[in-house]
Amino acid sequence: MSDTSVNVTGIWKIFNEGLPNEVTALQDIDLTVETGEFISLIGPSGCGKSTLLRVIADLTGPTRGQATVAGMPAAQARKDQRYGIAFQQAALFDWRSVRRNVELPLELQGWSKDRRRTRAMELLEMVQLADFAEHRPWELSGGMQQRVAIARSLAVDPPLLLMDEPFGALDEMTRERMQNELLRIREETGKSIIFVTHSIPEAVYLSDRVVVMSPRPGRITDIISVNLGSRTEDTREAEGFFNAVTAVREALRGRGPGSSEARSRIGEI
Amino acid sequence: MGQSQKMSAVSRRVKRGTISAGWAIAGALLTVIMWELVKLLGSVVELPFDTSDTAMPNVWTMIAAFSQPEVRGSDVTILQAVVSAAAYSLMIALGGFIIGVSIGLILAIVMQRFAFLERGMLPFVIASQTVPLIALAPLIVGIGNRFSLGPVQWTSTASVMFIAAYLAFFPLSVGALRGLQAPTATSLELMHSYAATPRQLLFRLRFPASIPYLVPAMKVSAAAAVVGTVVAEISTGVRGGIGRLIVEYARETTSQPAKVYVAVFGAIVLGLVAAGLVTLLDMYLTRNLPKESPA
Amino acid sequence: MAHRLRAIWPPILIAVIFLGSWQLLVFVQNIQPYLLPAPSLIFTNFFSDVSLMWAAAFYTGTTAFLGLMFGTLFGLVLALFAQRLAIVNNLVTPLAAGLAAVPIIALTPILNNMFNITSRTPRVLVTMIIVFFPVFVNVTRGLIQVIPVQLELMRSMNAKPSTVLRLLRIPNAIPFFFTALKIAAPLSVIAALVSEYFGGPQEGLGSRIASAAANTAYGRAWAYVVASIITGLLFYLVVLAVERWAAPWTGQSRSA
Repeated sequence: MSDTSVNVTGIWKIFNEGLPNEVTALQDIDLTVETGEFISLIGPSGCGKSTLLRVIADLTGPTRGQATVAGMPAAQARKDQRYGIAFQQAALFDWRSVRRNVELPLELQGWSKDRRRTRAMELLEMVQLADFAEHRPWELSGGMQQRVAIARSLAVDPPLLLMDEPFGALDEMTRERMQNELLRIREETGKSIIFVTHSIPEAVYLSDRVVVMSPRPGRITDIISVNLGSRTEDTREAEGFFNAVTAVREALRGRGPGSSEARSRIGEI
Repeated sequence: MGQSQKMSAVSRRVKRGTISAGWAIAGALLTVIMWELVKLLGSVVELPFDTSDTAMPNVWTMIAAFSQPEVRGSDVTILQAVVSAAAYSLMIALGGFIIGVSIGLILAIVMQRFAFLERGMLPFVIASQTVPLIALAPLIVGIGNRFSLGPVQWTSTASVMFIAAYLAFFPLSVGALRGLQAPTATSLELMHSYAATPRQLLFRLRFPASIPYLVPAMKVSAAAAVVGTVVAEISTGVRGGIGRLIVEYARETTSQPAKVYVAVFGAIVLGLVAAGLVTLLDMYLTRNLPKESPA
Repeated sequence: MAHRLRAIWPPILIAVIFLGSWQLLVFVQNIQPYLLPAPSLIFTNFFSDVSLMWAAAFYTGTTAFLGLMFGTLFGLVLALFAQRLAIVNNLVTPLAAGLAAVPIIALTPILNNMFNITSRTPRVLVTMIIVFFPVFVNVTRGLIQVIPVQLELMRSMNAKPSTVLRLLRIPNAIPFFFTALKIAAPLSVIAALVSEYFGGPQEGLGSRIASAAANTAYGRAWAYVVASIITGLLFYLVVLAVERWAAPWTGQSRSA
């Protein structure tokens, strides 16, 4: 199994350094994601979760520190296409059919026409949109467009998936369906996923670990392990689920196990 | 926004204006240099166009022409004649602009209010712009000259203003319509919950919401009014404006080649002044809106 | 089908009302043709001289077409440069804004002097300059104004700038291009027409209208006007048709 771990060491991201409107978006972030893990980044606006994702994706450079993906620097990982990314907006190209949108990363990698087509149809089968291959993006609903975006992110079969609130614009029912889809895809492919969200139930339902962040300056305050085993229809109603959700909520309120409150309770400070 | 921040916003705008002006002057100087260089080149090498002093007078000849008498024995210099003609055209264009904008606004309000009228009229509003009205210009002047409502005689100048208004109304009515239709369903529901009358809806919601659409539309309208005025003057030979002057001076290029250049400069300056005035109007209308950061 | 009929009948109704009242007005008020000819008179005049109409329209249309082609080409090339090199954009775009109200057609006599007045060249040149500006401004905007998320996506796929240009910026700019063309096409006809008022060959629509009006042959003058309208409309409709074929996604609500 290829090494898909992500290693973030001492990452700082400061915008407008030295200027009066300086903002510390990320402060001294350390994080390790093991091979095959599903990690959520959760926190209020301005906590830096999206920025951290973009640093890992090499879409923006850190002010200090470094991020490695699969043992290589983030920039190299991007060049070697070791990750796929999906955003809150599906960002499909209106002038291409659904299938050709999924083929886009493959075109950039120089795949031949036939090979691209086969792979695109495979992926569309996986997200159950094969019947819509020749449709145009605007003819699809929001949820369907997002499924196409996910299929596209899987095109080069990268070991790592980065997702920035991909289900944020969807209604609750579609959201839950998409969450199940995502878990199923993960089952089938064994990929590592870093998932940014600001929905607590979503983070708990999907993840092995939930990384709680807080703003001004952006930093990690807690990492909560979620041990719910295989997700089923009943998971969302299980007691373990509620406990985990509560733990994350408390952490967001500053009362998590890593907080000063908790630590003083334990007698550490 | 703090008082000091407001001040810096204005001074930033002034700074940007001065920089643009600087670029414009640099551009003008560059054009002058290029002009003389081309003439120089033309005297040595065979170029596909005429670079002699009759076809391309030197820049200093053109400037000298400013102070020459317009017609032999006249007191009026060429520059004076051009400036007064350009001012005359500007007045006509302004009149056409105001009329065109008013009609455009009324049309837009009516079309927004009554969907049937929008469906019926919008295709024509759009089609009206593919009609080269300028083609009609001589005929409009012809018809107009025979018109009189009681003591008021319709003049050729009025025909030109009419044409300017026609060209100005379309961009404005389309922009205004889009602007009046811009308020979101949510804002409309809010106003309905306040039992707002159609009139209140128009003045308190639709008009303010349409400003960002009106402003670019007005820029296009003003440009259309100015260009329409000058072009109509050219097409009809109507006296008083800069268009006619250009046609007249163009006929004298063998004797006084620099004259037509002065007139063309006059037309260019006219256009720039009009563009500047509209920009000021724009700044005034958007004074309370959040400033867009440059793209 | 029913939906299409429903959309068409309001404008048709208004057209019929307009023409009908015009005809009625002329008839009832007994308006002389030199003042305002009836639609029926224009109609007969037009069809009795169709070959002349066609010749004049073809002449002016060719000038317009040439100016449109070259102006568009020039605008496209410069827009590509403007997207790549900020300095080109910073120089030309404000120039376009500043010159918007300047009657560029006034340059015709100067060009007539520099180039051969008996040829088409000065007219094509001035049309070219007029067409250049809307094409340049709109296409530059289309190349530059790409949704940031789509740019991030391309970067995540390690796309080179030339690839981003080819696969993202250019397709994105196509609707903008057609917006410009819908302005430029009728504009080229007008420019070609008006440029004929400064002397030179007299075979075009502009010259014919002027001379017909001067000879008080108003029926003929109106007929030539109708020919100009048809020419302008034709140019516009061709652009519409090409747009529908080349950019069917225009006007659709954007995908999320």
